[in-house]
Amino acid sequence: MSCGAEHCITCGDDGVPMRVLRLDDERGLALCADGEGAHHTVETALVEPVAPGDELLVHAGVALVAL
Amino acid sequence: MRFVDEFRDAELGRALAGEILGLVEPGRHYKVMEVCGGHTHSIYKYGVDDLLPTNVELVHGPGCPVCVIPMGRVDDGIALAHIEGVIFTCFGDMMRVPGSRGTLLDAKAAGADVRMVYSPLDALRIAKEHPDREVIFYAIGFETTAPSTALTLKRARAERVTNFSCMCNHVTIVPPLRALLESPDLRLDGFVGPGHVSTIVGARPFEFIPADYGKPVVISGFEPLDILQSVAMILRQIAAGRCEVENQYTRVVPYDGNLRALEVMAEVFELRPHFEWRGLGFISHSGLRLSDAYADLDAERRFGVPGVRVADPKACQCGEVLKGVIKPWECKVFGTACTPERPIGTCMVSSEGACAAYYNYGRFARDREVV
Repeated sequence: MSCGAEHCITCGDDGVPMRVLRLDDERGLALCADGEGAHHTVETALVEPVAPGDELLVHAGVALVAL
Repeated sequence: MRFVDEFRDAELGRALAGEILGLVEPGRHYKVMEVCGGHTHSIYKYGVDDLLPTNVELVHGPGCPVCVIPMGRVDDGIALAHIEGVIFTCFGDMMRVPGSRGTLLDAKAAGADVRMVYSPLDALRIAKEHPDREVIFYAIGFETTAPSTALTLKRARAERVTNFSCMCNHVTIVPPLRALLESPDLRLDGFVGPGHVSTIVGARPFEFIPADYGKPVVISGFEPLDILQSVAMILRQIAAGRCEVENQYTRVVPYDGNLRALEVMAEVFELRPHFEWRGLGFISHSGLRLSDAYADLDAERRFGVPGVRVADPKACQCGEVLKGVIKPWECKVFGTACTPERPIGTCMVSSEGACAAYYNYGRFARDREVV
């Protein structure tokens, strides 16, 4: 997930598929891994309930859709 | 990867290209606008337009949030960034958008504390790490990104982070489309509708396009086969004399959108009476600001901004490019005075901008062969 010369993922109306690794239920956050294995903290308020192993489409730190 | 590999299959792509060839009427020219900058980027990256017959033209719409930010709003951001003690945060591409006196990167070089973030949550984390500093998040984007800002502001409120605020530049997708459709110099046959905006707003808000303007809309995914299939669906509607909103991206887009996201947006934002768009001018009810309930987290109200309107540079034809009236390479300064390294217009800044996408991937493919 980078804002390099190639592609600005956050502002390009772009979604990144990620897999849920761990949940922080109290704060409504999930630790997720993208396709390259990099870890991200993701807000899950829009797609709850989620469980470890679920696949989410993530944009700008927020899961938009459960895949 | 699931949902990726199968949508890049070359054999299926060739079959779709053949189907599209069979759907077009010889001698008729078809103009289809892809609204979203993400689609523009995919089209050039994967050479989707090279698979289309020469009489099917893809026109690049106003769906890159960076590309539509007017200079005055950049200047306002830079003014905030220069306030003593402020940490100014924004998405990466925003840092290179020229205002009337330079970019946010220039402001950073001049001593302002400007930091790139990947999400508003990152900006909030910086605020928590620096309780003695004011942290401002420069929010841009359509309805895809607005829920992320809204949720972060709710979180800031819940966690009592008082040194965090937001300069809101979020925009909505329907008003500029209506403005484009009202434009007298525009002739389009259909729209490839925005995919991820529609995960939030759904497909229903686009129903006015077939109802009021008689143009088909197909909400599309971002992989090359998604876009090819969407073009085929538009051409199939035209061939059959149909005109409606169809959803190609059903694996992600619910027809009614995400109600939770719409609720949180309605709580945190309200419509501005009007908002200025680069190249398109002022459009009524097209921009969002923080609602009165969140006024204390509004950087514009907390600090005040100059709010000066700055005219677009004369040499730049971003407006005509955003309306699809001219191709990027037809602009007088394309690839000469205006390049991704030294952009004049915003369409050359973001890789989702039509000019940058054309410059990076497509500038040698102006004369296409018939498939």
